[in-house]
Amino acid sequence: MSDEKLVLALPKGRILDEVMPLVRSAGIEPEAAFDDPKSRALRFATNHPHIDIIRVRSFDVATFVAFGAAHIGVCGNDVLMEFDYPDIYAPLDLNIGHCRLAVAEPEEMIDGDDPSRWSHVRVATKYPNVTRNHFSKRGVQAECIKLNGAMELAPTLGLCRRIVDLVSTGNTLKANGLREIEHIADVTSRLIVNRAALKTRPTDVQPWIDRFSEVLNAA
Amino acid sequence: MTELARKALLPAGLQDVLPGTAAREAEIREKLMASLAHAGYDRVKTPLVEFEESLLEGAAPELSTQTFRLMDPESRRMMGVRSDMTPQVGRIAATRLVDAPRPLRLSYSGDVLRIKGSHLRPERQFAQVGAELIGVSSAAADTEIVLLALEALDRINVPFVSVDLNLPTLPVRLFDAFGVKGDQREALIEALERRDVAALKGIDGKVTDVLVALLEAAGPAKTALPKLKKLELPLGASDELYRLIDVAERVLASGLDAALTIDPVEMAGFRYQTGVSFTLFAKNVRGEIGRGGRYRAGGASGEAATGMSLYMDSILRGLPDGDAIVRVYLPLGTPQHEARQLRLDGHYTVAALEGAAEAKTEDGARVEARRMGCDYIYLGGQVVPLSA
Repeated sequence: MSDEKLVLALPKGRILDEVMPLVRSAGIEPEAAFDDPKSRALRFATNHPHIDIIRVRSFDVATFVAFGAAHIGVCGNDVLMEFDYPDIYAPLDLNIGHCRLAVAEPEEMIDGDDPSRWSHVRVATKYPNVTRNHFSKRGVQAECIKLNGAMELAPTLGLCRRIVDLVSTGNTLKANGLREIEHIADVTSRLIVNRAALKTRPTDVQPWIDRFSEVLNAA
Repeated sequence: MTELARKALLPAGLQDVLPGTAAREAEIREKLMASLAHAGYDRVKTPLVEFEESLLEGAAPELSTQTFRLMDPESRRMMGVRSDMTPQVGRIAATRLVDAPRPLRLSYSGDVLRIKGSHLRPERQFAQVGAELIGVSSAAADTEIVLLALEALDRINVPFVSVDLNLPTLPVRLFDAFGVKGDQREALIEALERRDVAALKGIDGKVTDVLVALLEAAGPAKTALPKLKKLELPLGASDELYRLIDVAERVLASGLDAALTIDPVEMAGFRYQTGVSFTLFAKNVRGEIGRGGRYRAGGASGEAATGMSLYMDSILRGLPDGDAIVRVYLPLGTPQHEARQLRLDGHYTVAALEGAAEAKTEDGARVEARRMGCDYIYLGGQVVPLSA
């Protein structure tokens, strides 16, 4: 039934400013409350009566879409790598939100450290799965301490010596006396789609993928 | 933790099914099995546990990592708890029923146990209802199984069923034909799994154009079929694609009331399929409600077979609650032969027991009838509504 609403999940924060021009070029205009910082609303109507927008944390975009609570979404491939949900398709690289996932450690440790000799590392990260996979591929066991932000504090306060985090300019690392020592993956934002939604409502969902694709090609 | 909570806690993914739901599940299961029986599929029953080596023979590695093991103290051999019944039915066909006439049509229903649930279906124990058509490799057989699943789902009124026809072997067939190996193969599979056309296009090679065309053709059968028919594939792959097209057209021609989509490059979740396969969805049920497809019964070198299985847990989520059972309360002193007759007439009765908290008055009996969840009471030889 195409009279049921499609829910588009967008990430809060920094990425949202880069996503909105694409969303608007695709012809989706949210109601005024969306741009009102005082609004407490979480779900917004749009100029399309059958499309609503929700604004949630980037990690939660993937979860909402994986469970089919939202049908389309935008999130970074860092999040997709962390969850590895089989029920998410990521058909478009939106070419925004560029950064990378990297391992960093304190400057003063680097000289005396030989990564090829590691058998076990303790790492503070928001990405325990990505971190474990990354290290296990090189035969190193990673013990992850899950933090939700301010990873850079962990080494300076002695929580652990290494971190795995998103790096864009590297300034935050530098300001905290850390240096990037290993690159894990390049990160950009992706358009994601719930698998069952695409299969059961292809004529509702596929045209939006095509629309975003056209917008990207025109850019 | 209180004593009560300690007793109530079950291991992750396992649950007690309570009155109402348990009856509903059994009813749905039997209706599905009846639908399969009406189509000529004979019911078989397989053991919960069997020797690991025969349970897992020729099975995909995923099946092995999902299987609980235990040691048989009797034979001292390792046994596995079934995590999927299809290989067991394949074994029956290849051994005890090896001389039975082909095509062999078998159905089954039973619970399976898995080491890990998925995020969409956290259940580790759930019921499968399925059917296998063994000994035929034709498109007609592929079609029969798809239609069999749809007819069974129709019989229990699952709303808005949709079938996605797949060919999980096609990408690999194409990689072989174009000589794609190693890292490039992995990169292509990853892009296909994400359905990322731009990433596919970024990978060099002749196979890329074909994969992009297949991916772009995916969608509702009516739009997908004309696109797929125009494609030119290398020899082995084109035969398989034509089989898929053939089956899609046969399913469409059957006039069954379900949406049909085609996705020739979907590989997710197919564990032992060797040809035309399919995934079943229902509107408002997250994830799939069943799947099926062509495989080899009794291991990799076995007989041609196709089959399907339906997941009871997902199907129940997509169905409205069943009608509640209407019960008649039998007050103390109701003669046994009258009670028997009521049940023969189709009533569901709840009889008062001696010493029940029932006063000797009619009012007392009515109160007790309500407490026992009855809607009717048997008074003066009549079934009368309690509200009266």
